[in-house]
Amino acid sequence: MAIPAVASRPPLWRNIRVLRVVAQVVVVALVVLGLRQLFQNLVSGLEATGISTTFDFLDSPAGFRVADSDFNPRSSSTALFAQGVKNTLLVAIVGILLASVIGLLVGIARLSSNWLLAKLATAFVETLRNIPPLVVIIFFFAAMFRDALPAVREARRVGAPAGDETAFYFSNSSFAIPSFVREDAFSTWLLLVGILFVCSIALWIWRSRVEVATGKPARRVAVTTAVLGGGSLLGLLVLDPLSWSWPRLEGNTIGGGFRFTTAYAALTLALALYTASHIAEIIRGSIQAVHKGQFEAAEALALSGFQRYRFVILPQALRIAVPPTINQYLNLTKNTSLAVAIGYPDLTNLTKSLIGNGKPAPQSILILMAIYLSFSLVISLLVNLFNRRLRLVGR
Amino acid sequence: MLTTRWRLLAAILALTLFGAAACGDDDDGGDAADDEETEETDDTVEFEAAQDSSALGTIRDRGNLVCGVNNVLPGFGIVDENGEYSGFDIDFCKAVAVAIFGDVEAVEFVDLTAEQRFTALQSGEIDILVRNTTWTATRDGAESVLFGPTTFYDGQGFMVSEESGISDVSGLEGARICVLSGTTTELNLTSYLDSEGIGFEPVVFEDNTELQPAYESGQCEAWTSDKSQLAAFKTSIEEADGGTQVILEPTISKEPLGPGVLDGEGDLAQIMDWAVFATIQAEEFGISSDNVEGFSSEDPEVLRFLGQEEGFDAGLDLEPDFAAQIVAAVGNYGEIYARNIEPIGLTDRGLNALWTEGGLLYAPPYR
Repeated sequence: MAIPAVASRPPLWRNIRVLRVVAQVVVVALVVLGLRQLFQNLVSGLEATGISTTFDFLDSPAGFRVADSDFNPRSSSTALFAQGVKNTLLVAIVGILLASVIGLLVGIARLSSNWLLAKLATAFVETLRNIPPLVVIIFFFAAMFRDALPAVREARRVGAPAGDETAFYFSNSSFAIPSFVREDAFSTWLLLVGILFVCSIALWIWRSRVEVATGKPARRVAVTTAVLGGGSLLGLLVLDPLSWSWPRLEGNTIGGGFRFTTAYAALTLALALYTASHIAEIIRGSIQAVHKGQFEAAEALALSGFQRYRFVILPQALRIAVPPTINQYLNLTKNTSLAVAIGYPDLTNLTKSLIGNGKPAPQSILILMAIYLSFSLVISLLVNLFNRRLRLVGR
Repeated sequence: MLTTRWRLLAAILALTLFGAAACGDDDDGGDAADDEETEETDDTVEFEAAQDSSALGTIRDRGNLVCGVNNVLPGFGIVDENGEYSGFDIDFCKAVAVAIFGDVEAVEFVDLTAEQRFTALQSGEIDILVRNTTWTATRDGAESVLFGPTTFYDGQGFMVSEESGISDVSGLEGARICVLSGTTTELNLTSYLDSEGIGFEPVVFEDNTELQPAYESGQCEAWTSDKSQLAAFKTSIEEADGGTQVILEPTISKEPLGPGVLDGEGDLAQIMDWAVFATIQAEEFGISSDNVEGFSSEDPEVLRFLGQEEGFDAGLDLEPDFAAQIVAAVGNYGEIYARNIEPIGLTDRGLNALWTEGGLLYAPPYR
């Protein structure tokens, strides 16, 4: 067979392959030009008014104290950003944990056959989901904590009525709960716990092997918990490495114990509940997306309710639920910036204070954005690692 | 969809348009190229002045003065339910507007929090900042504010409620102290109490509308701010049956409050300076809004001040009778003080009296 002649190449200006490349180059050039123009605009404006355009301010002292922390006002601005990161992470991590747990439970509760439970869960979700997070935060802070609780001088006490020492203090500026103080034997006890932990890992592996080999339940969770938990408890009793520290009211302040401010409590609680309402909806949707046949098959196998969810439904549902949940975690982390409304010294609030006290604004905001970006990237990365374990092989 | 030819045409068109815009005739865009050769601020200002794109020129073209003010501080800058602004700083704003336009209504107020005020001035959102702002070195330098004469000499203090039982500064040990963010108050609080070795917890708010309920409900034991602010709020809290408030003795810092414009706006700054001086000088001469109309005097200083000396022009770019207009519109310094500051409880003028009466208010001679 004769090979047909190769069609002649179209001229360069009509050659689609060339044009595609040219078009992309043109777009990139336009974007770069645009950004360069904006940047030069900013720099010339700043220089014309004598404002710094460098990042040298990072070494200058911040000059103000941060509530509830040991931050030294003479530390650099970089240290202030670090303090802000720490404060934000305190809210974000606790909030994410709480939101996940509450969201999971409420999501499952909404599908319960118990009418009251289902309706309560629905009420919870529908109320919190439809209110802006700022309003929820201000409600907790102002209505629930500031106005309903007394001032520190007359703080409410709950617990052992032994003179001034109490178990829990509730006031409108801070809460105090008893905490532990380390004694000398603490490091010994820690060593003991470490050894027990290694042993329990060995136990876990052994019992799993036994279960796989014999097919009979080897109770690896029970055995491991008994060894680790029991051993630690025994160590506590024998070595006495910790002692209680009770909060005590001294005039206008509370000494001892572990204190946290109502601002922190309000922010964390409000964000946790708000995000939980969203996560509950995600969980509910993902459970409903699991084929009905799976539920029926699990029932046919005589699995209890808990077993049904734990072994059949949730593994399939979570696969669907994880990506939108990552989104909710990121939202929670970014919503911590609403702390400016209640005076909690999170990263955004501290950056605004820095700017208000003379540090240049464009550079500070740039650093702020970069930090939030890295938060988001790290959270996505971590949860996506978890996601990989859930993925269906072959997809 | 577009054929290849049309796509190419579109790309070329977009490139041309953007190129025209990017290398275009916008002032800052042009200066971006110029600034690479000239580093000096002065050159840029002269370049702009020649085109009259300075703040004063912009103000004159616009027809009104944009003032950055406080809207929640009784006595200095506050809005009533009809949207009318009143206060010490508001009156000085109006004085500058009268100096420029001769019209006390030619002014627009922009509400600002303490954190926003300097970026608002730097970005050109406002022309002049008259918002109980303390004159400090950092604000003069890094924050590029050009301050006018100090209109109110103040100092920082602490306010506590009587039932807290705190009677002096040492009682603040371990206390929670409410303070506004982005103020000299925040910095002074830290350095003063640290130097006294008194530990405390700062509770930081953006503005007084959030701070006041926190203080009243007891979330913080003490409130620190300029003593004039504390006096204003003491009066309003006690009037609303909030319990007796005590302002502690020590004044822990110097807080010279005054108006400011952006660095480099020399023409506007001059007008701001002489508008303020006019009110002080008027009180010194005994001219008030009641008697300015038919004020007669043999003293050539007074005549010159009121614009009645033939042929005198100080070269300030102001009307000859600008001082008379200002006094007619807002009164002299004493009247402004009496109208705004006395109602909040500061009847003793202290440092804010004329130099002839032992205070610090001293206007340079108008000649």
